[in-house]
Amino acid sequence: MKSLTDLDYYEILEISPDTPVSGVERAYQLALATYAEDSLAGYSVFESGDAATMRERIETAYRVLSDAEARIGYDATLVTEIEAQTPSVADSLPPLAATLPETLSEIEPLEAFDEDSNDYDGSRLRRSRLRRGLEIESVAQVTKVNPTYLRFLEEERFADLPPRVYVRGFLMAFATCVGLDPHAVAGSYLVRFDDATKAVSRRFRGA
Amino acid sequence: MSAELRKSAARFRPATSEPRLAARPPRMIPVGGGKGGVGKTFVVANLAVSLARMGHRVVAVDADLEGPNLHTCLGLAKPPVSLADYVAHREEDLGKLLLDSSVPGLHVIAGTRSNLATPQPGHARRVQLIRELRRLPADFVLLDLGAGMHPAVVDYFMVSDDGLLVIAPEPTSVENAYAFLRAAFYRRLRLAMASHDVRSLVTLAMDEQNERGIRTPLELLREIEALDPSEGAHFVETMRAFRPRIVINEVRTAEDVKLGFSVKSVCRKYFGIEAEYLGYVSHDADARKAVRGRRPLVDLSPRSDASNYLRRVARKLADLPSARG
Repeated sequence: MKSLTDLDYYEILEISPDTPVSGVERAYQLALATYAEDSLAGYSVFESGDAATMRERIETAYRVLSDAEARIGYDATLVTEIEAQTPSVADSLPPLAATLPETLSEIEPLEAFDEDSNDYDGSRLRRSRLRRGLEIESVAQVTKVNPTYLRFLEEERFADLPPRVYVRGFLMAFATCVGLDPHAVAGSYLVRFDDATKAVSRRFRGA
Repeated sequence: MSAELRKSAARFRPATSEPRLAARPPRMIPVGGGKGGVGKTFVVANLAVSLARMGHRVVAVDADLEGPNLHTCLGLAKPPVSLADYVAHREEDLGKLLLDSSVPGLHVIAGTRSNLATPQPGHARRVQLIRELRRLPADFVLLDLGAGMHPAVVDYFMVSDDGLLVIAPEPTSVENAYAFLRAAFYRRLRLAMASHDVRSLVTLAMDEQNERGIRTPLELLREIEALDPSEGAHFVETMRAFRPRIVINEVRTAEDVKLGFSVKSVCRKYFGIEAEYLGYVSHDADARKAVRGRRPLVDLSPRSDASNYLRRVARKLADLPSARG
């Protein structure tokens, strides 16, 4: 256990020394959110100035660890520091970071969910999006699909969606963005879409 | 026994066999959160049903004697007996307080009919109660805790190292959750420390405004190390063993989902506590309907997002890698 000022860059971002660059990026985003001025997780704990100091250190840690060359140099200084340290009781135990799973990896693995079926409905799209930590707006930004339509996809408001060919495009984009197989998603979702729209047109013809 | 083994054992167990696995103590899962109204009872009821549906023997205990309603969430109308009977020494055998539920494998100990004058058991009775709970013939014993930081509530939470903390994505809930963790953690430490001097140091540190200026567990550790190095090592071990689990309830946005990671980070950096983010449960309009209909949500609308999330938390608790198998 260390005081905040003694944390090394890896401990600041809560990653292990072999975390790849993508993991550094993710941990950085999360750390920034945690130590934001209006952070829900921290406001009752941080003393004034705490969060700002922490954010500065997060930025420094990120700048070094996201740059391959700078990171190698930093790792070298870590090794010498550890050798020079005087041991205290706390340090005689294995370092925390080594015994812990990487940040975000606990909930994230896609296979660790109930979803082994090939059935994709609106709520499953929403669950997959949330699991990736994405708001509708960020999916819209990546996919260039109108957020309203993305919402309709999740809520299965089939009647409010544009013609099938567009819906297929939306689905493929949505699926890719949240890390699902686009063909499986489009295929499965469109079956529901077709059933619903067929039922509607039948009703119209019957009337 | 591995999770796989346990599951297949559960599947092949004939419905009538009772004493099987009797020697194996149940896993205790206390569910707290500090604040009221964050959905503790809702989570307990649904996890209990989910675990029972997976084939485990489950006892859900309403330890919230000052505001009991677990029985209502599980559809039990008016419990004839309850934990209050044990607290009041009217019943010594917890087994006789077990009520059947509509779900096979799930039994309930209700918390109604408590004595308003002394709803919580005294310390000695509490110790007895916890010992008896560990002897219940079950695979899982879930404890629905009350709000606040009464020593009784904290003691129930400490029946295991990895109790569940239910947090709603709102400042009040997060604040109370930290306060609750702090209370639980210091109480645990004080019990773990052998030396009298160290124990009184911990007691002193429990007061946030203490005159020694001990603000964080780390500062406390430094003081203890100075006093007694071997107790210092013991302190670190005790802290390592404490692995509370976080469930974020009433999630609406991706930001709410991330709150769990942030709380985990603050716990680690500020309190030196390694929490585990077990999962989240989405806000669901049907949750109210479920309570009103006195049926757990996982039964009322099993295909809803919230039910999916609740079952996922249950599977994680049971150490099952996925639904299949």
